Amino acid sequence: MKQFDRRDFLKSSAAAALAGSSSFGVLSRALAADPINFFAWSAGVDQVKSHISAFEAKTGLKVAYANAPWAQYRDTLVTKFVGGAPLDVLWVSDSWLPEWAEAGWLAPIDGYRELTKYNAEVDDFSTKSMTYKGKQYGLTYYTDYMGFFYDEQMLKKAGISAPPKTWDEVVQQSLKIKKAGLSEYPMMLSMARETWLIEFISAMVFSHGGRLVDDTGVAVMDDRRKGAREALTWVVDAVNKHKIVSPACVEIGELNGLKAFSSGQHAFAMLGRYRVRTLNDPKQSQIAGRVKQGLMPAGPNGSHATVGWNRFYGLTASAAKNKAKAADAVKFIEWFGGKADGKYAFQKLMFMDVGAGFAVKPLFKDPEIIKTYSQYSDIKMYERQQALARKKDVVSPWFGEWDEVNGTAWQAAILGKSSVNDALKRSADTWNKLRRRS
Amino acid sequence: MSIRAGALRGVFGAPVSRYDQASALWLLAPMLAVLLVVAVFPVLYSFWISLFDLRLTRPHRVPFVGLDNYLEVLQDELFWSSVWRTTSFTLMSVTAIMVIALAMALLLNEEFRGRRFLSAMLLVPWAIPYVANGLMWKWIYDSGYGALNGLLFQLDFIDKYMVWLGDSHKTLALIANAFVWKEVPLATILLLVGLKSIPADLYSAARVDGADLWRRFVHITLPALRPSFMLVMIYETMMAIRHFDLFFILTEGGPAEASHVLAWQVYVETFRKLSFGTGSALAYIMALVTFLLAFWLIRTLGRKL
Repeated sequence: MKQFDRRDFLKSSAAAALAGSSSFGVLSRALAADPINFFAWSAGVDQVKSHISAFEAKTGLKVAYANAPWAQYRDTLVTKFVGGAPLDVLWVSDSWLPEWAEAGWLAPIDGYRELTKYNAEVDDFSTKSMTYKGKQYGLTYYTDYMGFFYDEQMLKKAGISAPPKTWDEVVQQSLKIKKAGLSEYPMMLSMARETWLIEFISAMVFSHGGRLVDDTGVAVMDDRRKGAREALTWVVDAVNKHKIVSPACVEIGELNGLKAFSSGQHAFAMLGRYRVRTLNDPKQSQIAGRVKQGLMPAGPNGSHATVGWNRFYGLTASAAKNKAKAADAVKFIEWFGGKADGKYAFQKLMFMDVGAGFAVKPLFKDPEIIKTYSQYSDIKMYERQQALARKKDVVSPWFGEWDEVNGTAWQAAILGKSSVNDALKRSADTWNKLRRRS
Repeated sequence: MSIRAGALRGVFGAPVSRYDQASALWLLAPMLAVLLVVAVFPVLYSFWISLFDLRLTRPHRVPFVGLDNYLEVLQDELFWSSVWRTTSFTLMSVTAIMVIALAMALLLNEEFRGRRFLSAMLLVPWAIPYVANGLMWKWIYDSGYGALNGLLFQLDFIDKYMVWLGDSHKTLALIANAFVWKEVPLATILLLVGLKSIPADLYSAARVDGADLWRRFVHITLPALRPSFMLVMIYETMMAIRHFDLFFILTEGGPAEASHVLAWQVYVETFRKLSFGTGSALAYIMALVTFLLAFWLIRTLGRKL
């Protein structure tokens, strides 16, 4: 019997390798292929995982999914980008888009018709929120807006038959409720220094007919006619003159505001629209069944406009450079942000499971969604207010830096440490300085 | 192995051979390498960074600016108001810690029923992590449903709920209170150790000489306690200047700028604005101030140890 020498061993090894590579070609490609690196914040993790599994089964592609808490998301991602970590698709907040686009970390998706075709069915402000310098950078994952809510029962007890349509009416009705001894501070406003503050501020400013920054990017918040003066004056007066908003509003964050309103301490509240599900849930709210959504009250020169926000699937510049990788990433983005098997499956899943808002208009007609939403709120009002939502006008590469100063300036005015004009001038000066520097 | 005349001498004066010197160096080498990597290199590198306008969100343009970041920080009004707030916070906190810890240590130095239980209870705040401590105080101070308002209201001290952290006149003092609560146990233990080391004979002799309680405290306890006192004061001063956790959890520097201290400013510059150049410069200035203060404390007060 011939001995199995070193040469034979090498020959047979090479043959085995060749056979293996051809027989298990498909499998090995799937296993060894570079996965789509998807990074998100830790929301709806189970829903994301199940939708990824469906994607993998459908396409044979692999996805490496990782997440980080929302509070540390921006820092984590910036560090990953700078460090060159593998990232292909990620969740992006509209607030960070200019910063990340300017840094060259995100790639526009305008060239991918399979993604942009969905714009026709998406709310306009949502698409605008994903657009920077004329280029679209993603497909929506979750969209919502700042809503105005009231405790219908408390209003009735005070002899009020209809919710306020204007901010003046909010004052009048609040004073009536206060006089009736139903609430010490009928209006709940969260003005604590946190990421939500700019949404509260923007909603107040937009509904008063003002702007913080105009379309050319120039600060107008200190402009007497078209700025934020009326909005900030209303807040300052509500706290200090009418005493319908608690002076503690500067320490009340969005979550604490939700708790305070759901404990029955207030008649009116400005909160993220999606909070209505919690507010009317008997397990989580003492005023369940009594909370209704009204249109955002209008200022003397304003409208029922509010601020909307958008979170979307972004394609990284590094993925876009690699044609094969980009093709896979685009399939993934469409599966999540567009339609999967002909349906807006993921957006519906997130709405049904966690109450997350959506920007794709056909879902407003979905019988299952209508039925579910009617259990705790009015879908017509949801849709009507969303149509009046606007994107934040201050989103810019220097937004983070300016936001620090602006939040402080608004708080200083509320606390009486500076005048409304001085606060807005400080905010505008900082904006202009940062804009010049960049 | 040979021992050269005039060679190094060890702790007990015995000459140290070349072999021992080399062995010591080799044995210390791994730890020195670790220290170089985890301590010396980051310190030097952060100084290097402080000389550049490094913004993480602008990775392709990192100009060398020399000492401009330092000048920018020193010309910033917010920096100087932060220095003032940090000083106020430190003075308030350290004074309160020293007074309360001394009183607690004197109490626990006496023999009485329940002393051991009280000693064990004293350790509870120390055992609580800073973040948990911050969240607990956030709940206590909450203006809507906080325990402090609930207690004062039930005791009829107030007729309606008060605004605590949201009142810029009270904010710093309230944060100092939470800091003191956490720091007093360690300070008490350190002072108690000092108290235990005072010979009982001194007190007996003073009693024989007719010294009353106050005189015994002033002429025996306080001088003997000075080393522990200095140690605690220097340690707590450093802790107060650098403290960040409670500012982050309770107020995020607000309301307005009421709790915007130096440590918070370093965080904002570095991790919110992602401006590592000015953040590093600020951290260096803060480290230098802390070092100089510690040096001064040790030179002026510590020499009496």
